[in-house]
Amino acid sequence: MAKSRTMVRSGMRIAREAPQILRDLRSLRVCVFHPRDQDGQDLTRQLERIGCQVQAFWPPLPEPPAGMDVVFMAISPDLVDADFEWCHVDDSPPVIAVIAYENPTVIEAVLRVGAIATVASPVRSFGLLPVLVLARDLHVTLKKQKKRIAQLEAKLHGVRQITEAQDILCAQHGVNKDEAYRIIREQAMQKRVTAEEIARSIIHANEILRFSAPKS
Amino acid sequence: MANNDPVKVGVLYSQTGATSAIESSQRLGTLLAIEEINTAGGIDGREIVAIDCDPASDPVQFRALAERLVAIDNVNVIFGCYMSSTRKAVMPVVEKYNRILFYATLYEGFEFSNNIIYTGAAPNQNSVQLADYMMSSFGGRVYLVGSDYIYPYESNRIMSDLIKQRPGGSVVAQRYVPLDVGQQDFKVIVDEIRDLQPDFIFSTVVGNATQHLYRAYAEAGLNPKHIPIASLTTSEVEVSQMGAQMAAGHFTSAPYFSSIDTPENLRVIERFEARFGGDVRPNACWEAAYFQVHMFANAMRATGTDLVPVLLPQLLSAEYAAPQGRVRIEPTNHHTHLYPRIGRVNSKGEFTIVRASNHAVAPDPYLVTHSLGDWTLALEALQD
Repeated sequence: MAKSRTMVRSGMRIAREAPQILRDLRSLRVCVFHPRDQDGQDLTRQLERIGCQVQAFWPPLPEPPAGMDVVFMAISPDLVDADFEWCHVDDSPPVIAVIAYENPTVIEAVLRVGAIATVASPVRSFGLLPVLVLARDLHVTLKKQKKRIAQLEAKLHGVRQITEAQDILCAQHGVNKDEAYRIIREQAMQKRVTAEEIARSIIHANEILRFSAPKS
Repeated sequence: MANNDPVKVGVLYSQTGATSAIESSQRLGTLLAIEEINTAGGIDGREIVAIDCDPASDPVQFRALAERLVAIDNVNVIFGCYMSSTRKAVMPVVEKYNRILFYATLYEGFEFSNNIIYTGAAPNQNSVQLADYMMSSFGGRVYLVGSDYIYPYESNRIMSDLIKQRPGGSVVAQRYVPLDVGQQDFKVIVDEIRDLQPDFIFSTVVGNATQHLYRAYAEAGLNPKHIPIASLTTSEVEVSQMGAQMAAGHFTSAPYFSSIDTPENLRVIERFEARFGGDVRPNACWEAAYFQVHMFANAMRATGTDLVPVLLPQLLSAEYAAPQGRVRIEPTNHHTHLYPRIGRVNSKGEFTIVRASNHAVAPDPYLVTHSLGDWTLALEALQD
């Protein structure tokens, strides 16, 4: 019997657009803190082949130049105890550690500089591109999550304040909770501020009044 | 004291399997160059001896034979590989033993090995030019068909990107077929092409299957004047496999066509035909396979050795008057400065060159976003 299977693969693969993070590679500003040896040269040259804007320094500067998108940092044995303050600042660029050892001393240093990826020494040209892209993607994700967490914390704090203000209004004006919330919202709309701000004002005023109450 | 020991080199082109025809032409281009060098006295009196293997279009055999060439025959240099999967199989071997692979085939880019010299076109040396020419001549509704492996996937990603840059440009469909596909299997594809009426077809079907696509196309009565096939891999070899009347009117983008009308090219073809008969047609992969052997020999002549740490620096920045024009190896990425051309198959089965670059285009294998209308890549109109 003749084979009747159809050999054409259709509808299974479509050429997907290259994601923006790949399109941005040619404008990516990369800082390299690595000794100027063969490895440092191989690393810098592969980054240049990829098309990144590379600036290399050794020894490391106290902090990377402004505007860097990513930092490659060699964790050389004489650097394992160095403390890089810039690594812990909120807006610092992501760090990719370049390591020649994987003993606990070096890995501890990798964690301490806050690296989100590592590249093994000797540096191979193959594998650098995906590490670079994944580290940047992870960094963007972490940053977004950090921002989101801060927003949620503020929101949660605001909800707590509104509840507290509602309780104050209930106690002092004899209204129920829904009524108290309606008052807060009305005030917020009149004064064109957020309900959270009105709640803060109520709490604040209540503290002052409570403080002055025994005097009267 | 002169060293008269022969210089052994590995030759790793498939004479059997899915890509045997095109690889056989690369093998003969390699052997022609070796004979030319030996006839002219070898490399300072040392004869080049080819250790000639048939890896049968199979990555596993490529790797095993590369290991044997290096470990047992102790060659420092290997000429070979066509499909990316076979190059990826040989790469770890030449890296482990610090040898050099000369790779004479266009591919999808995104690779650099310190132990490979790439003499075929990167996408910025063939795809952009093809997209530009085809869309400005025929329009932007494009049907994509390719063999089912990584080279067509990435080529189609680049092509889709370029198509979307053109106002109104669109990919009307995208289909993949196995490497060992038969002509019957292309029937659904050509039926769909007839239904969809795209402005042109971009084919990344490779190897011996290529002829089946063009035959199925012709049998369906489609007309290349209205819906031509554009390709990066349909060379003179595939055209001769399918016959001139099947291929006439279709387009290919490559740095070399055997029809290049220069004394250098005509002389090489004359020598090739005198030595190997007229069965195997010179083509872009053949030409790269040919000139890279001469570049190796020149570098070895200059350094007196084929030991990689000495030979490699000499190769980087080396130039050679190849049949396509004066080529140069780019030291920063080991790829080669080449001359993009667009050819249209004529009734004799030869490529009429309709567009050509008057300067060599620098290779940029890591370019993600190619741009239509890049003036540095502009081709000169030769014929319309």
